[in-house]
Amino acid sequence: MVLVGRSWLLAVVAFLYLPIAVMIAMAFNASSLYALPIKPSLQWFVALAGDAPLLTATRNSLAIALFTSIVATLVGTLASIALSRQAFRGRSLLKALLLPPIAIPWLITGTAMLVFFFWTGIGRGLHAMMIGHVALAIPYVVLVVGTGMEAVRVDLEEAAMSLGSTPVHAFVAVTMPLLAPSIVAAGLFAFAVSLDQFVVSYFLSTPGVSTLPVEIYSSIRKGFTPEINAISAIFFGVSTLLVLLFAQLSNLGGNRGRR
Amino acid sequence: MAIAINRRSFNALLASGVTAAASSGLMPRRAAAATEITVLNWKGYGTDEAWALKDFAAATGVTVKHDYFNSEPEMLTKLQTNPGAYDVVLINSARTQQAQAAGLLDPIDLAAAPNAKDLAPALKTHANLMVDGKTYGLSWLWGMNSLAIRTGKVTGADSFAIFLDPRYAGRLALLDDAATEIAVGALLTGQDINNPKDMKAIGDKLKAMKTNVKLLWSSEDEWNKAFAADAFDISVFWSGAAVRSKKQSKLPVEFIVPKEGAIGWLDGLSIPKSSKNKDAALKFINYMVDPKFYVAWATQAGAPASANTAAMSELPADDLNKQIHKPEYLSKLQFMSPMPDDRRQAFNDLWEEVKAGYAK
Amino acid sequence: MATRIAPSLPARLSSRRAWTTAGLLIPAYGWLTLAVFLPLGAMLFFSFLKAAPFGDRPLVFTFDQYLAFFRRPYLFDVAWRSIELGLWTTGLCALIGLPAALALARATRGRARQVLFLLIILPFWTNGLVRIFSWTIVLREGGVLDQALHLVLPSAPGLSLLYSYPAIVIGLVHAYLPYMILTCYLSVAAIEDSVVEAARSLGARTPAIFWKIILPLSLPGLVSGAILIFVPVIGSFMEPRILGGRIGVTMGTVIEDQFTQAFNWPLGAALSFIMLAVVLLIFGLTSRILPGRVASF
Repeated sequence: MVLVGRSWLLAVVAFLYLPIAVMIAMAFNASSLYALPIKPSLQWFVALAGDAPLLTATRNSLAIALFTSIVATLVGTLASIALSRQAFRGRSLLKALLLPPIAIPWLITGTAMLVFFFWTGIGRGLHAMMIGHVALAIPYVVLVVGTGMEAVRVDLEEAAMSLGSTPVHAFVAVTMPLLAPSIVAAGLFAFAVSLDQFVVSYFLSTPGVSTLPVEIYSSIRKGFTPEINAISAIFFGVSTLLVLLFAQLSNLGGNRGRR
Repeated sequence: MAIAINRRSFNALLASGVTAAASSGLMPRRAAAATEITVLNWKGYGTDEAWALKDFAAATGVTVKHDYFNSEPEMLTKLQTNPGAYDVVLINSARTQQAQAAGLLDPIDLAAAPNAKDLAPALKTHANLMVDGKTYGLSWLWGMNSLAIRTGKVTGADSFAIFLDPRYAGRLALLDDAATEIAVGALLTGQDINNPKDMKAIGDKLKAMKTNVKLLWSSEDEWNKAFAADAFDISVFWSGAAVRSKKQSKLPVEFIVPKEGAIGWLDGLSIPKSSKNKDAALKFINYMVDPKFYVAWATQAGAPASANTAAMSELPADDLNKQIHKPEYLSKLQFMSPMPDDRRQAFNDLWEEVKAGYAK
Repeated sequence: MATRIAPSLPARLSSRRAWTTAGLLIPAYGWLTLAVFLPLGAMLFFSFLKAAPFGDRPLVFTFDQYLAFFRRPYLFDVAWRSIELGLWTTGLCALIGLPAALALARATRGRARQVLFLLIILPFWTNGLVRIFSWTIVLREGGVLDQALHLVLPSAPGLSLLYSYPAIVIGLVHAYLPYMILTCYLSVAAIEDSVVEAARSLGARTPAIFWKIILPLSLPGLVSGAILIFVPVIGSFMEPRILGGRIGVTMGTVIEDQFTQAFNWPLGAALSFIMLAVVLLIFGLTSRILPGRVASF
């Protein structure tokens, strides 16, 4: 059973990484049209080194994604606690309200934000992008953390309270550690949502202040070169290293979710 | 709104601070005169060629920033929701009057742009660009949406009827754009592409292409990659893009204007009414129609045809741009023109219906 | 759940509790209101207009946009196909994701599990468009898959999945699978060994354990996963457009066209809100069928 499970997992991971591997391979391919077989070349990395706007865009993306994941995780986790631990009228409505940001295509949300931010004077720019990204990441955080909350037994918290803990203390001391994997997962997802949010970024960026997804999206019509693959490959490589390093140093990967 | 104004005045304050610093000798003198303009355009469409911007800045002291759009409605939306943000905007002349009617554009004084003197007369004051005798866009580039085939694989391509030829089942790529495809149907049924009377006939023609249609492309990138991967042999393509595919990607593509004629379009450069740097904007537009810029751009990268006759005549005789954009085609083209909202919507509805049929 | 304790608490505490609840909710919902609900409210307003507000065009109100489906019967087809696509994607994600989550929770431990957990999310840290273009390289004729097949079976016919329904489904499953694995994992990880062992000692076989214990307990994860997948998939437009060729027409692409080609925000917005209503209806109905804890959805 264990063996079957492990092979299934490996197959799934292989499937998830297939296009990523292709993406990285194409960064080393001379053909700008992604022709096979691969003719090895480093030309796209060389071109990238001289492409200051693309590098700045990448740095902006990283900053926005980091901000988004921290803020959205914090704010979303708080909401999730209220939604799954406390009974109050209108709870179902509040839960249902998480759906529109996911259901309405980003193009519409992006256009709506552009128009509304214009009306209210919020305008465009990094601040607008951050406002938009956090909002779009919140529902994901609430749902992911909420799922984790379902799995944490309430009776443990109650036991702690019956032993004299305040609800807040019971939550921090008992539930929080059990919830850690969910919160980490939510943060990672929020980061991903922000990186992928090309439509909203695209509408809300000020001319001259670009992000990586904006660079990619506005290149669609004309075409993007494997330079995009090169920066994506570097980005992916570095983030993978950082995340695995983080996993090595901490113990947040989910070991404690199961006792 | 109040916040926006506050921010703007804050920026003005900031700017005056910079100027003060400059005049007090903290910065080189040149900086005081430095103007920055923002251009709204498709990405990679001439105005953002790095060498040209360097050249332009050296000559005028004006630096150029860009913002991009991915569709014409998006361009109009950005123009409307960012007053003051843009100084030059590229507008397909079929949309110029729409933007003008919304009060977004300033007329252009052609006399103040020296390079305008060599513009082809028919394009310089093309009806699309004119409102009440004033020009709202400087004629910049024209091009065609027409037939492109894989050299050697396709024979006898002298009509759009080849889109219905059973020999090429599953080998056709159409452009996912209502105006273009309805126009193809109109050409096939001998109608005016801007005001066809028999929409049903057009719909029937387009629907009949189903077995031939392999994919609907929406970007040059997608077209090139799919063509290079041998996914199709026949398609509707942009003339300027065909030059680039042949020149840069060495793809075996042949661009044809069939006997029905082809779809022409004219792109103009306009100055938004809200621009705060109109002089610099005009300088930039003038630079864009300079034969020197065009020849360098067209020969290095590949471009649509310049509306400037002097620019076209300076191209080497064997240049691909020149071969594809033959002046005699101008009489065989039907140019995309402004149309009322409800007709545009009817075009879109029909194309949506055709596509739904393709997917079934 | 909290209802079980609430009545036993003094009234003063319960009013404090209301304040706590509000305090916990306000940051998230305030933020959502500013950045999503109000802008979408504007879109809702537009959806009752005849044409997009542009320039000084007069605002003409109409309910016409909501009759779009009756004016354009082919949209029923498109809508059904989008829902079908959502069902296929969600179903496949569940079929692949739940076992993977189970394996992650029960067949791995320690550091290996942490690393796998992260490895499943990391592919998401690349741009979606770049991933889709990578899929075209994998699926096309003469692509990675085709060449791999011919390496094993040189005599096999050419394999081209690109521009087909399966290509869209593959692209979508790839894009959304991690959500399902992670949400299921969060539920499954909490199932205690003792419960499974007790069932086994009482003679339950593996299938029975799965159906009677594991599946019901992983339901919250499956439901969250399904929401995070089904909802965006029926509005997706990039995957169908790029991977589907002429087959890639969905509600997402129809709506996109209203914004990028027709400049008809009112119709695009109305179609989005119809879609949202259908999604809410579907989840409303499912929550009646599903038992217990997930009923709130």
